[in-house]
Parts: sequence; C-alpha cells; structure tokens
Amino acid sequence: MIERRLDWGELAPLRLSARHAADGVYAGAHRSPRRGAGVEFGGHRAYVPGDDLRFIDRHALMRHGRLLVRQFETETDRALRLVVDATESMAYRGKGAPGAKLAYAAVVAAALARIAISGGDPVAVDWIGGDAREPLPALGGREAFERVLAALETVRPGGDIRLDPQAVERAFAAVARHARRGAIVVLLSDLIDLPDGTLDRFAALSSLGRTLIAVRVLDPVEASFSFEGAVRLESSEGDVVVDTDADAVRQAYLARLEEVAQTWDERLAPSGGGVVRAVTTDPPVDTVREVVLAARGGGA
Amino acid sequence: MSFATWLALAVGVFVVAPFVAHLLRRSRAEPKEFPPAHLVPVAEPVARQQSRLEDRLLLGIRAAMVLALAVLGATPLLRCSRLSLARSAGGSVALAIVVDDSLSMRARAPSGKSRFDLAIGGAKELLGTTREGDAVAIVLAGAPARIVLSATTDLAAARHALDQIQESDRATDLGAAVELARSLLHSLPHVDRRVVLLSDFAGGPIPKGEIQVWAPLADLRKPVDDCAVVSASSHGRRVSVSLACSTAQAARGRSLELVVTDGKAEPSSEDAGKDAKAAKAGEVVASEKLDMRPGDQTLSLDPPVLGAGLDARLSGTDDNRADDRAPVAPDSTGFGFGVYSDIATAGATTGGATVLEQALEALGRDLAVKPLATLPEDEKDLRGLGALLLDDPAGIAPEARGSLAAWLERGGVAVAFLGPKSENVQLGTTLEPFVRGALRWEHTKASSVDPASTAWLGAPGSSFDALAPKGRTRLDSALPDGAKVMARWDDGQPFLVEHATGRGVTYAVSLPSSPDQSDLALRPGFLALLEYFIDQAERRSGPKRTAAGTPWTFPATSSVEIEGPRGRAAVEALGRGSDSSKSFVGDVVGRYRVVQDGETSTRIVSIHSDEVTTEPREPDSANEKVVTGGVESKLDVSREVALFLLALFAGELVLRALRRARPKRGRRKTDVPPTREPAAGG
Repeated sequence: MIERRLDWGELAPLRLSARHAADGVYAGAHRSPRRGAGVEFGGHRAYVPGDDLRFIDRHALMRHGRLLVRQFETETDRALRLVVDATESMAYRGKGAPGAKLAYAAVVAAALARIAISGGDPVAVDWIGGDAREPLPALGGREAFERVLAALETVRPGGDIRLDPQAVERAFAAVARHARRGAIVVLLSDLIDLPDGTLDRFAALSSLGRTLIAVRVLDPVEASFSFEGAVRLESSEGDVVVDTDADAVRQAYLARLEEVAQTWDERLAPSGGGVVRAVTTDPPVDTVREVVLAARGGGA
Repeated sequence: MSFATWLALAVGVFVVAPFVAHLLRRSRAEPKEFPPAHLVPVAEPVARQQSRLEDRLLLGIRAAMVLALAVLGATPLLRCSRLSLARSAGGSVALAIVVDDSLSMRARAPSGKSRFDLAIGGAKELLGTTREGDAVAIVLAGAPARIVLSATTDLAAARHALDQIQESDRATDLGAAVELARSLLHSLPHVDRRVVLLSDFAGGPIPKGEIQVWAPLADLRKPVDDCAVVSASSHGRRVSVSLACSTAQAARGRSLELVVTDGKAEPSSEDAGKDAKAAKAGEVVASEKLDMRPGDQTLSLDPPVLGAGLDARLSGTDDNRADDRAPVAPDSTGFGFGVYSDIATAGATTGGATVLEQALEALGRDLAVKPLATLPEDEKDLRGLGALLLDDPAGIAPEARGSLAAWLERGGVAVAFLGPKSENVQLGTTLEPFVRGALRWEHTKASSVDPASTAWLGAPGSSFDALAPKGRTRLDSALPDGAKVMARWDDGQPFLVEHATGRGVTYAVSLPSSPDQSDLALRPGFLALLEYFIDQAERRSGPKRTAAGTPWTFPATSSVEIEGPRGRAAVEALGRGSDSSKSFVGDVVGRYRVVQDGETSTRIVSIHSDEVTTEPREPDSANEKVVTGGVESKLDVSREVALFLLALFAGELVLRALRRARPKRGRRKTDVPPTREPAAGG
C-alpha cells in the first residue's frame, strides 16, 4: 500500500478552516434535520426497503398508487456518519489547486462534524482506504470534535481501491451496523476509482430513514480537463495509461464525468439526499452549506 | 582512417541528426498523473498524424539535400568512373567493338551483373563518348564470329544494333572475331583505329595485327564457379548426361536430376504401368551426385520413364544458371549412318569392320553406324538413317532405287564411293541417282586432287596428294542435270560431285574407300570429307542434337517453321537461284520444334563443354598485343548533382507552399473512439 503525507496546502490548518466553514453555515438555533417518527408531520418520501411499515401512507397509496412513507419532525438527535475516501486518488493536487482533494474533503468533513456536534448530534467517521485506521465511533460533545479533527489531520492517503475492493464493503458495513434510524451518511469522495457496485451498496444504506449524501470532490484539473495537445495520462490507482489528444477528447471526458455524477444523483435522490459537486477551489463554506441543505431536504 | 572517411562520417552525422531530432520531437509525452484517466477516451493526436505524413517527406528532402551538398562539395575528391574514349590527337576515332556473346559470358561477375550485361553496358558507355565523325563497327565473338554492324558513322544505328544483341550459348571464337573487327577497320581513313574486346578471354589466343586490341573491363576476366549440363541423350533405357565443371567447388553438394518437363515422358517398357503415374511435369524421376572435381564427367542414369519430355538439370546454384539445364535428346540410335560395302573388297587388311565403318567410328561423333548387307527396297527401312554410304556398289536395283529416291526427297544424304564395280553394273541396275548412264573405270596418271578445289575442307583438303590410285571412275560424262563438281583431280576431271535431289543430296566420289585401290582412306582429308557428309546429313535430316551456333539448312522450297526456347524463330533465306536455301541458327540451349513441309520433328541445341572448363585469363600483353587497364577515365558529375540539388530545393518550396495553402485541420471532436463505459461509482 502506498502511503504519503497529505498535501494540505492552503487549507491548513484544518481546525481553523473547518471552524470558518462551519461558522459560515451555522445560523442560530439548530433544528434537527431528521425526519422520521415524531409528532409533527414532515411530509412524504418514497418507500425504500427497510422502512418501518407503520409509516406507509395507505391513503397516498390508494390515491397515487405509489408507496410513500410519512415523515415527522423529531426532537431526537440525528447521528452524522462521515465516510471519507482516503485512497490514493484523493491525494491528487493539480496545478492551481489550494490543496489535495482529501484535504478539502477533511475540511468539509470537520465543518460538518462541528455543526453536528454543536447541534448535539453524534458524529462518526469511517474510512475507505487510507492507512487502514480504525473507524471513529459515534461520539458527541466537545471532545468528539477534537477526536474527529485529530483523525482527519493524521490520515495518510493511500491504497489502491481496485486492489482492495473490500475496503468499501468494510466501511459501508460499519455504517449499516452502527448508524441509527434517521442518521445522515455523508460520503466524501471523488467517485472516480471506486469499485463496481459501490453505488449499489451505498444506496442500500438508505433504509431506516437514513439520508445519503455524496460529496464529489474534484481537483480543478479533473473538473476542467485543462490539458492541451498530446498528453499521456496515468491514473493514480490501477495501471491505466492513456495517450490522447486533450483538445479532441475534452468534451467527451467532461460528459462522462458528469454522467457518473448524474448516476449517483439519481440513485441517492429517493433517500432524500443526492450528490454535492465540489471542486477544491470552491470555498469550503459553500460546499458545507450545500451539504446541510441537502440533509435538510433542500436537495443537493 | 583517411580524411575521406572522417568526411563521410561527418556527412553521415549531418544526415542522421535531423532524423534523430524528428524522432525526439515525435517521441511520446511524459506521463502525467490524472486519477480519472480511465474516463479519458484514447485518441491519436492530430499533431502526430500530421508529422507522419508531412514531416517525413520534408525530412527526406532535407536529408537528400545534405547528401547532395556534401557530394557537390566533395567534387574534387569524388567522381564517377565510366568507360570513355580517350582521344590521343583529338581527331575522329574508328572503333570496332567486339562483344563476346558466348555462353561463358552469361556467368555472373563479382558485381552481381552478368558478364554479358557488363560488356553491353561498357559498349554503350563507349558509344556515349563517341562524337560526330567517329566510325563504329560491332562484331560478336560467339562462334562463329559474325558482324552485327559494319563500320558506320551513324551512331544511332550503332546504339540500335547494340540494343538488339542477345545473350547466346555459343562457343567462343575470339581470334576470328578480332580478325573480323580489324578487317572492318582496315579500309577506313581514320588514323586512330581501335578494336575494343569486351570478353572474358575464355577462348583461343588473340592474333597479332596492326590494329591494337584494347580489353578494358577486368571484371569480365574474374574466374567463376560453374557447372553445366553439356548434353544429355537417351540410349535404350538409360540416359547419358555429359557434364562439365569449372572448379571442384562448383560441384560441391550438387546432383544431376532428370525431371519431367511436359508430360511426354513415357514409362520405360519394363516399368510400364508400374510408374506410369509418376510421369508428371516437374517431377524428378532420377538423380545422381556429381563428382567433386573440375573438368568433364559423364553420368548415366536409369529413369523409370523415357521419352522426349525429360530434362537434365543440376541442383543448387552457381555463377551461371543458364547452363544448368538441358533437354534429353531422344535415343540416338534412331539417327544413324547406313554403310553398304563389301567386306571382301573394302575391308582392312588387319581385319575388323570395313574401312568406312572404322573411319566413321574414328570420328568420335555421336553416330550409330549400321552396316547394310543389301540396299533396302522399302523406303521405310531407310527412314531411321540420316545418311547412306555406298562403297563401290555394283548397281542399284529398280526397287532399291525407288526407295532411295523417296528417302532422298525427304532429306537424306547418300554418298557413293565409286570403284571398279561401277563399270560392270549388273543387268537392270544403274547408279542413279548418283550419276546418269554408264560409267567407266579407267587407269589414270593423275594421282592428286587439286588442293584449290578442296579448300572448302580447310587444311585437311590439301592432303589428297599422291593418292596412288590404281584407277578412277570417270564422272564427267555421267553428271546428272544440276550436278555440281566440288573437287577435281589435278587433271581437271571431277573427283567429287554433288547433286541435290528434293530435300536431300547425293555425292559421288570417283574413288572407292578400299586401300587396295588408292590411299584415299589413309589421308586426313578422308575423315574431313566424311565429317562434311555428316554435317550435311545432320543439317538436312534433322540432327537430334547440335551445338549452339550450328546452322540448320533447309531447301529454299521448303516451308519451315521453328519454335524454340525464345518462341517462334525467324528462318533466314540464303543465296539466290539454285544455290538458295533457308537457314536457322539455334544459339540458345533447348528443345526446338521444327515443322518442315508439314512434318514435325524435335531438334536439340546443346553447349560446348569448353565454355565451362576454359578459365578466363588475362591477355598476354607481350604476345597478343592487348592493352588492358588504364582506360577507365573519371567523369565529373558535379553538374548532375547540382541539378539534383536544385530540384530538391524546388521540391521543398513546393511542398511548403502546398502546406500553407491547405486549410488547417479542425480538431476532431466527433471521431473520438469509444472507450469503456464510465464506472458509476465503480
């Protein structure tokens, strides 16, 4: 397994960046974004396997012919499960980027953790790849934020997810086991080198009223394909080497990249979540805000 | 290393450098890390495609320009060598070019070209340096030597004549060719007269003469390794093949093979039915290894098939592939000499066969001598004979005369040695068609044959002196119409008379062969005379095999068509009036199909072994007065190189103009080849 230090670049230090991002989003009293069992009706959503059958709206079923689940505002806490992709490709930092993709993902994750902990919700961290460290169990309180920061600061990117497809399985299995009903699961990844079936497994976590959000973090070079002329491109994971004419294939590449995001978006929409598209040059506060909005049901 | 070597290396660097730079420019880009590389379609870069099509052409032009510049700059050092005519006094030159077109000239020279091609190339180079007023003659040295072009100032005709010369498998006749060339120049007014001999000198000596011989091409005289099939003929069930090798090396690891050529081969009588299916064209039916030694050798093979469709060939290769294959002549016993003589009167005192039979055997020719007890009365019995010799016949019966006349019409050659019996022919018999009417055997004081009348026999013709004849047959009163006296006694009486009958011919000699009657049979001229008769018989009746260059003569009235290895051949008409005839010279080894007056026969042309076994040699400058070397002048080619350079420069300008005029290609956006489907989350 290849390990190297994370290129934090202009995103360091994580503590300040995360606090800055979180403060930009946090606005007054926190209202739990969880929908589920409670007293105040919170709307409908499509049924997914695993939902409590008690909340199926039979009237809506008879009227629309579709299985819909009734949602309620709840007073209970909503756990935040952060799944961070720390594979080799996330260590990429292109020309003009403020930092590596993983560094940017760490800032967003830390900011989300601060917001959740400030609202009294527990935060857990799971890893895909990285230095194979143990997942951080759901914790709340000031100490929890420090532990999340420490975990994110010390992560070393590495590993070829194509050589270790079980890494995704391990991460998602932990989420499935420990995430409680109504938890918000945020996957921070470039969504590029993940093995086949990752999307299916991630979408399967949407049972028990969990909200699934994928934050696709791309480097500006990846997002714009700013190469020119004849180039030889080598992937970070796997042994893919491509000789191509950048000007000729740019549009085709961008279309395929967007196609990937669209596919994720469509699969995650039934859970109330979606894909948040981020580039490492984007202000982290904007990305965090989009994630929060998505978690509240505002759409990604 | 010399200065020229360093210079050449430097030029090489200049030529190679742009190419290396081009390759470096076209080398693949350094790989760049890009995690989503698998989402990027593969596409041939447009720039690389252009560089393949256009830069390569430009590069080639520039490299050629560098080379041309280097050659141009090196003109004081570098010149092309060509054969040219040096003029001692600046005046016109009379030139007789002798080109050796014999078989040995078909061998490959060290340069890879055949000696013949080198010789023709040299002759053309010489012609290229002639100018108006020069006279040129062309002579071929393949036996017999012959004139292709008499001395002429029409240089275009000379070039045309050179273009018409073809290789042949003839023997070499250098001496006669040089003499012919000298005779052509002899009467010319030019002061500067030269004979240029383009030959390998694998022949006889060069006769001395007033006009010097110039042998410029030393490459022609380099020895070669060559083995040849000289001749092949079938005898009964066996095929006898005569071979010749110039060196032992040429025979190393090689075999003689008998191969079926056209499916005409038939199973031999004992193998009929058993191997009949094996006679397919191209199939090797017998083979035998060659002895690894130079010189002549004869191999005998016993193939399962016989017939006219067999070729003898040598396996492997050597420097002369033209003589590695020859057709197998059909059974030579089918062509023979019938001898009708009385052993009692024409026999030798020492016993054995008659004098005529022994003389024919002594000639060493490939003949089958058939003694005849009586003259056949059926023409069919004579068909297998090429010639018929009658020694002192006592008349010819009417039936035999009829069959003889019919046989002569078909091209037979009959010779009658007329002796004492000719005076007392039996009742009802005559000596027609040799002579007409009665003959008289007379005692004579003349004892010699006029040597002037036998000059056509060559040197042996003068040997008919002091023949001590006990008598002679008086022929002058019995000559048939149209008869021609070919030799006379010293008193003017006919000694030898020729009379054409149909396609055939008869000869009447006024002496018998018996040594008891004269010393005729003891003279060298007697064998020469027999050889002459044999040649006549071979020419007329269709010899089974002749050497390349031997003419075949046909009566002028005959309709003749010949098809040989080079396709349909033209038959040449010779002479006028009663002496007219048709002639054809087969000068390439192979099988010839002759259709004469509707009758088809096959004749075979073979080579002379001397063409293989005689080594090329350097001329003896002291005795033969042949000048060699020192004649290859050097020709300045800077003008041609400069023109070539200008053409290259113009080519580059045109190419650049075309490239500028051509609209730039747009980036291809739609022709991106498909790659794998994007992984949606993998």
